[in-house]
Amino acid sequence: MTDLNAFTALAAAQPRRAAFAALDIRETPELALASLARRRGSTKPAPFALHLPEPGRWVAGQGVAAFWVSPDQWMIEAEGRAEENFAADLKQASPDCTVTEQTDGWTVFEIVSRSGAAPIEALLSKLVNIDVANFGPGSATRTGLEDISCFVIRRSKTHVAVLGARSFAGSLWHALETAAQRVRENATSSSNP
Amino acid sequence: MSRLAGGLVDRSQTLNFTFDGKRYQGHPGDTLASALLANGVRMMGRSFKYHRPRGVLSAGSEEPNALVELRSGARQEPNTRATVAELFEGLVARSQNRWPSLGFDALAVNDLLSPFFTAGFYYKTFMWPKAFWEKLYEPAIRKAAGLGSLSMQADPDAYDKGFLHCDLLVIGGGPAGLAAALTAARSSARVILADEDFRLGGRLLAETETLEEAPATDWISALEAEFESLPNVRVMRRTTVFGVFDHGIYGAVERVSDHLAEPGDKVRQTLWRVTAKRAILAAGATERPIAFADNDRPGIMLAGAMRTYANRWAACPSKTVAVFTNNDDGHRTARDLAAKGVHVAAVIDARREAIASWGDYRVIAGGMVTGSRGRLGLTAIEVSANGRREWFECGALGVSGGWNPNVHLTSHHCGRPVWNETLQAFLPGADGPAGLFAAGAAAGHFSTAQTLRSGAEAAQRALNELAIVAALPILPQPEESGYGVAPIFHVPGKKRAWVDFQNDVTVKDIKIAHAENMRAVEHLKRYTTLGMATDQGKTANVTGLAVMAELTGKSIPETGTTIFRPPYTPVTISVLGGGDTGPHFRPRRLTPTHCWAEAQGAVFVETGQWMRAEYFPRQGETHWRQSVDRETKAVRSAVGLCDVSTLGKVDVQGADAGEFLNRLYSNVIDTLKVDRVRYGLMLREDGFAYDDGTCARLAEDHYVVTTTTANAGLVYRNMEFARQCLWPELDAQIISTTDAWAQIAVAGPKSRVLLDRIVDGFDLSNDAFPFMACAELTVCGGLRARLFRISFSGELAYELAVPARFGQALMERLMETGADLGVMPYGVEALSVLRVEKGHVGGSELNGQSTAAMLGLGKMVSQKKDAIGAVMSRREGLAGDMRRLVGLQPVERAGKVVAGSHLFTKGAPQNLDTDQGWITSACYSPHVGSMIGLGFLEKGDQRIGEVIVAANPVEGESESLRIVPAHFVDPEGARLRD
Repeated sequence: MTDLNAFTALAAAQPRRAAFAALDIRETPELALASLARRRGSTKPAPFALHLPEPGRWVAGQGVAAFWVSPDQWMIEAEGRAEENFAADLKQASPDCTVTEQTDGWTVFEIVSRSGAAPIEALLSKLVNIDVANFGPGSATRTGLEDISCFVIRRSKTHVAVLGARSFAGSLWHALETAAQRVRENATSSSNP
Repeated sequence: MSRLAGGLVDRSQTLNFTFDGKRYQGHPGDTLASALLANGVRMMGRSFKYHRPRGVLSAGSEEPNALVELRSGARQEPNTRATVAELFEGLVARSQNRWPSLGFDALAVNDLLSPFFTAGFYYKTFMWPKAFWEKLYEPAIRKAAGLGSLSMQADPDAYDKGFLHCDLLVIGGGPAGLAAALTAARSSARVILADEDFRLGGRLLAETETLEEAPATDWISALEAEFESLPNVRVMRRTTVFGVFDHGIYGAVERVSDHLAEPGDKVRQTLWRVTAKRAILAAGATERPIAFADNDRPGIMLAGAMRTYANRWAACPSKTVAVFTNNDDGHRTARDLAAKGVHVAAVIDARREAIASWGDYRVIAGGMVTGSRGRLGLTAIEVSANGRREWFECGALGVSGGWNPNVHLTSHHCGRPVWNETLQAFLPGADGPAGLFAAGAAAGHFSTAQTLRSGAEAAQRALNELAIVAALPILPQPEESGYGVAPIFHVPGKKRAWVDFQNDVTVKDIKIAHAENMRAVEHLKRYTTLGMATDQGKTANVTGLAVMAELTGKSIPETGTTIFRPPYTPVTISVLGGGDTGPHFRPRRLTPTHCWAEAQGAVFVETGQWMRAEYFPRQGETHWRQSVDRETKAVRSAVGLCDVSTLGKVDVQGADAGEFLNRLYSNVIDTLKVDRVRYGLMLREDGFAYDDGTCARLAEDHYVVTTTTANAGLVYRNMEFARQCLWPELDAQIISTTDAWAQIAVAGPKSRVLLDRIVDGFDLSNDAFPFMACAELTVCGGLRARLFRISFSGELAYELAVPARFGQALMERLMETGADLGVMPYGVEALSVLRVEKGHVGGSELNGQSTAAMLGLGKMVSQKKDAIGAVMSRREGLAGDMRRLVGLQPVERAGKVVAGSHLFTKGAPQNLDTDQGWITSACYSPHVGSMIGLGFLEKGDQRIGEVIVAANPVEGESESLRIVPAHFVDPEGARLRD
């Protein structure tokens, strides 16, 4: 085991958290990521019993989850396994596929509402050009957020994840923090139709 | 404060405000303009060019005259329309464009000089001497003519932005908009109703007309309550939809806290981008004046505005008023004001068959207002009728020349409005933005009954296209009312009659434009500046066209119309920026070692979105060159470390990965052995070089390619396009790993020694791991890593990649471990010096204008296979370009080499025909001991040793340079293979 210290994408030893009126935002560096792509002629894989989703969708299994990223390509998530060689495990589970380590390529922010779906949807409407009414649980998309290319995943009505390239972590955190602050300011305003 | 009866202001509360330092009082519900009128203030500004006294013309966002500075200190905002500025406690307002005071403005002398300032005077005067224009005339004119002033302080307010989606966007909350919103609200549609006013109702708030035998406000309140109860409806007051953009996206600004003294925790404004499947334009109509002699005195306003001030705000500019009209609407004003006890001196109806009086006032049929009096405000008007002239004393005149539907948003996709002879107005054309339906007055329906019906029907039609069933609601059915407009746009006369109030354009100016053959509408506009002020000529354009049509003998539609552009009304730059300022103006990318570099005192430089360490100054170094020279020497003599994580990295796998790369790179890739790296060059489709990098083969079916920092996104996008669209038959999968790996260049003769101290039992000897080798290994006790023996500096060098989270710790470890070796971090400035010394091409050479041959890489375009750009690179135009990359050194050691200088044969004239090339990169080389450069030179490879001239005409400099090979360091390449 290396004796080098790992730092989060926000350049700290510990992940950053922030609480707002109805929202909590947490950096999750412990989430392992690996991309899985079908090779020509191979059958659609089902690693770790995951039913790999169609475009625009995210599915969760036991400690793992997957979302569509491009034709015949998915990102596989594994909770709490960033320190492991998850890509190697995924390759073992899908030997006919191309697997690429992605854990350190992304900064992942989990955003949870303590007050139903409205704060989450208000936050999204400030950040991304997504029709939140048609972006229910299980939705995932790649979109621009403050000129940063991100994946946005609706894990549940009250939980979204935003994945941005690791080097953008500071700017992405600033964008999320600013918007979450403003959702608090406008907590009483009417919701998006 | 003098108020009429009624009105929609809250008289139970009083608001204090100041205008030009004088204290006044108003009520919640007032605008600044209505409160000033209620306080007897008619004069609110000075005109743009002639500095003539001006008062409000309108009661809405079309206002051209009453532009004021609001607030003070950093929040001071010029050019704010008093007619839409919502009154709040403590409001501070000042008039603008006057000195020393509004009542006495020294620059009013311009009015006496008006014969010199007519249309086109810019183009006719100030022509000589030529140099005076920029230095004297223009600054003087700009100072004399203008609007408000800026505080010159940073904007202290916060701004926000966001996205909304709906089935139906209703633009405007007047009767048509309300009826449309109601129709949609009761269906399953998702509805957004946006209105620029702070109160819904539009024109209903300005009229005394009842709905269902009750005040219109009762109906509006009921609708508001219903909308509030429905989850599918969002009502956005104080929100101006200012533009229609592509794909059904509408831009809107919500003024969140402009009506507050200070925003507090709130943002000031929010920019919304609304994606609407369909939209209803229910923006109403704007009344236009009739131009007559001296028609711009304070107190002369639009008749509809006068009625609005009376009915909505219980304010009237004078106890005695008159009305000048060419349609029935002027009579409504007279009727309502008379009913409120205002003395109506006369209604001058330009129509010969004027209708009878609607109240206790005199009607002058076929009359014209031909003049006015009053230095700082109207005192009397001259009326001509039946050959007689008569003066009427009055402090205010309401003028109605008819109504122009607010077609602006329908023009935003170049839609051209269509002339309607009956209404004497332009209506929305059929070629407006897709999915946008005009309704109500915006569509030419001017009675309340018509607007209500039109709004509901438009909503039903729009939703029908979305397969949403919407029933027409039961709407109030007020009586139909007449309009009867006559085509009278101006009163002929010799004195000046204003058409465009904001830009001080008169009928006479239009006549001059006509006389000087500036008759096409676009020429008219530019020659006179008609319609070019911040109001975009909302009250002026049609009148201007009508006057020109009369002069040319053509009809108005033959004369033409100008279309409108976004924004509908002025939008602050701050809100368009969305609130991101300073370091957050755009996102930044930070390298894995950024914090460490910061702690070392690094100076950073932006490279695209990345912040990279430019150099690391040390104590005692007073100039950046000292730091860069030190870092450069450390790499040449010991070992240096540089974070090169910013290079693009793309993982390419699959059975056909080699073939895929063969088609992308100009050189052959698939012959590369496993565990080896090859330099690669990519061409654009047109044959020019566009990116270079390395390609490492980690396994038979697995490559990792690097790109330049600048082109990482572009190359990846092109690769994805090629994979999905050009060659889907290939078994190749790609994904970016740029951010996944922290990559550190370890360069210098002691780099192997340093690395040997951290690798986990890996043989780094030259035999085991030669130049251009690569390997997956572990370092620092088991950390997964990738090692590439590649060199940008020309020294023995490696690039070591570890998972990004360990980048900073690795850098720290290398610094600690290599302290005795003299290890030193170096930034991109030293990196650049090192590569110029070695003759490696960078962004200055790969600038989109260079071919592989020019770069000295002609042999890298393989003849054995095809690749993107290969065939086009052989076309005559490119293959015949004989400029070649050369090194350049000053003949005199102290001489300068300046990048961008153009190269000329010694003794030859210096012009485009004799241009031999240019210097692409230049730096001071500690290794050479002088400045050096790289450049493209005509047949440069055949001119080694020749002395040429580098001309820098911008600085007036010229330097003799000797042409040398482009390798100043180790031309044999022995060091990097050592």
